[in-house]
Amino acid sequence: MLKQMLQKEFILVLRDKHSLAALFIMPFIFILIMSMALKDTFNSERALLTYEIIDLDKTLESKTLQDFMLTSSFLQRQDSTESETHLSITIPVGFADALLEKERQEPLLQLSAAPDVKQEMILIFRAKLTADIMRLRLMQIQEKIAPFLPDASQLNLDTFHSEKLFDIDYRGMQENEQPTSTQQSVPSWIVFGMFFVIIPMSTVFINERKQKTLMRMASMNISIPALFAGKVIPYLLINQLQVLLMIGAGIYIVPLLGGDALTPGHSLAGLALVSISLSFAAIGTSVLIATLAKTVEQATTVGGLINILFGAIGGVMVPKFYMPESMQQFANISPMSWGLEGFLDIFLRGHGVKEILPEAMALCGFGLCLLLLAATILSKRLRV
Amino acid sequence: MITINNLCKRYDQQLALDDVSLTLSKGRILGLLGPNGAGKTTLVSILNGLTPYQSGTISIFGLNLTDNLPEIRRRSSFIPQSFAFYENLSVIENLRFFAGIQNIKDKAALNAIERAIAINRLEAMLDKRAHSLSGGQKQRLNIAIGLLNDPEIIYLDEPTAGIDPELRNSILQTIHSFKDAGKTIIYTSHYMQEIEQICDEVAIIKQGRIICHETIAKLLTKENGTSNLETIFLQLTASEDASC
Repeated sequence: MLKQMLQKEFILVLRDKHSLAALFIMPFIFILIMSMALKDTFNSERALLTYEIIDLDKTLESKTLQDFMLTSSFLQRQDSTESETHLSITIPVGFADALLEKERQEPLLQLSAAPDVKQEMILIFRAKLTADIMRLRLMQIQEKIAPFLPDASQLNLDTFHSEKLFDIDYRGMQENEQPTSTQQSVPSWIVFGMFFVIIPMSTVFINERKQKTLMRMASMNISIPALFAGKVIPYLLINQLQVLLMIGAGIYIVPLLGGDALTPGHSLAGLALVSISLSFAAIGTSVLIATLAKTVEQATTVGGLINILFGAIGGVMVPKFYMPESMQQFANISPMSWGLEGFLDIFLRGHGVKEILPEAMALCGFGLCLLLLAATILSKRLRV
Repeated sequence: MITINNLCKRYDQQLALDDVSLTLSKGRILGLLGPNGAGKTTLVSILNGLTPYQSGTISIFGLNLTDNLPEIRRRSSFIPQSFAFYENLSVIENLRFFAGIQNIKDKAALNAIERAIAINRLEAMLDKRAHSLSGGQKQRLNIAIGLLNDPEIIYLDEPTAGIDPELRNSILQTIHSFKDAGKTIIYTSHYMQEIEQICDEVAIIKQGRIICHETIAKLLTKENGTSNLETIFLQLTASEDASC
């Protein structure tokens, strides 16, 4: 009996172009677009800020400062005639003389920032500029004390600045491996896409109810648990197929378009657990909506809205690390957030089954509660 | 075959079936008539174990309905008024699916499907998707699905509603052929002419009570053959305490 239910559900989904588009094409396109769009966000080598320098001092010190600034990979110097830059530095006349002055009336440099430059970017820029000025000062001090302390002149200050002080090791990732936009976007859109089982499920389920096919099946001794198994199992498999295809897209197709390839983590069991648990939650949500809705249009509209809300709250559309702390806490009410964290644990943090168990249990519990609620409502409706 | 004694069904405060008693012998076709909301669908639902009831007893095949529901369901079939199948599956896929979920397997399934196809003349449209069939063809598929388990009792809920008159006749012929195969049928319809044409007996329900249960022949004789079933039905349902 279950075999026929599975076959029927698969044939119906395969023949429904809208469902196929929502389940497979939509998340696939999102993965490609978002991986490419956010590519630079995770690139530590790219320039974060552009700047111009107006050198009014024209001394060796002012030129040295400009050379120091050029060593940074996250700053890009531009000629002001090319385009408007994020920041503009004016080195005033007397800059070199004022470097070691104790009591200055005017600041050493003048900075002008475009209004759309983020505060954290200005802070990064200030830190870099401060370090370069300190370096210049050290060089001047070295020059001044050299006659009295000959050993000091032997000290090569450049080595302080060129030496590698530390390595960044991303937890759970292999050596030299870095988080990429693909690592963030593939889990997000897998999670989002999985909840779109609402479209095929509600189309079939509501028609079954309206046409009294469910009633006919009940009169053929098909129990509600068997009916639900006939829904849950095929969509569990469809969801797993989605996950495989989206991971495949992240590994093989995104790099073809110039993006970073997805590294799927090291725990296959963990990946399977989070994927099945999330699927269970998505199917529970879909079955409940399909049970409550009167028409297919109602189910797909309400289902779509709920998915977008879950996605927006849960960090699918805007990554959680961009959200303020209070919003990050609020995000935890969305099952999409639990699923996303589970996938990020596997893909990004290199975790395994043990670490994702809380998320997996929450998702399974959520799915089970909604399925039980749907079963109670449906059994009441079938027994007119 | 079917014995109902003092059946009562209440929806909240509203009485849907009020002390209904009825017997139907094997191989008979009973026409269930009544105005909208009289309780016909509720009665058919109860007989299929789809709706619970408050009091009374129902025995089908000599078995108590409540205690033997799976067995009774295996030997009977409910054919709803709506096209209760999958529009996006072909005719043959629908038949295979409904045979499969009833655990009709292998050769038995092949035989059941072949028989249902032949009775309902579906041979030419087996690979057509159900949504592309005409109303009459859909109804034939609907009936064919109901025959897969070779039922002894068939409940037909307004099978000709919304069907063209020409097609209606062919469906009626098919239903009449069930009687020759020894099936017992409970048939609900709004078309008096149909009831007259194919039923052996008629039960008229009004406000949850059976106000008349008689053979068609007797009912028409009682009225000296001057009237038809429609006139009798209208007279019975119009007066407050009429019975036949």
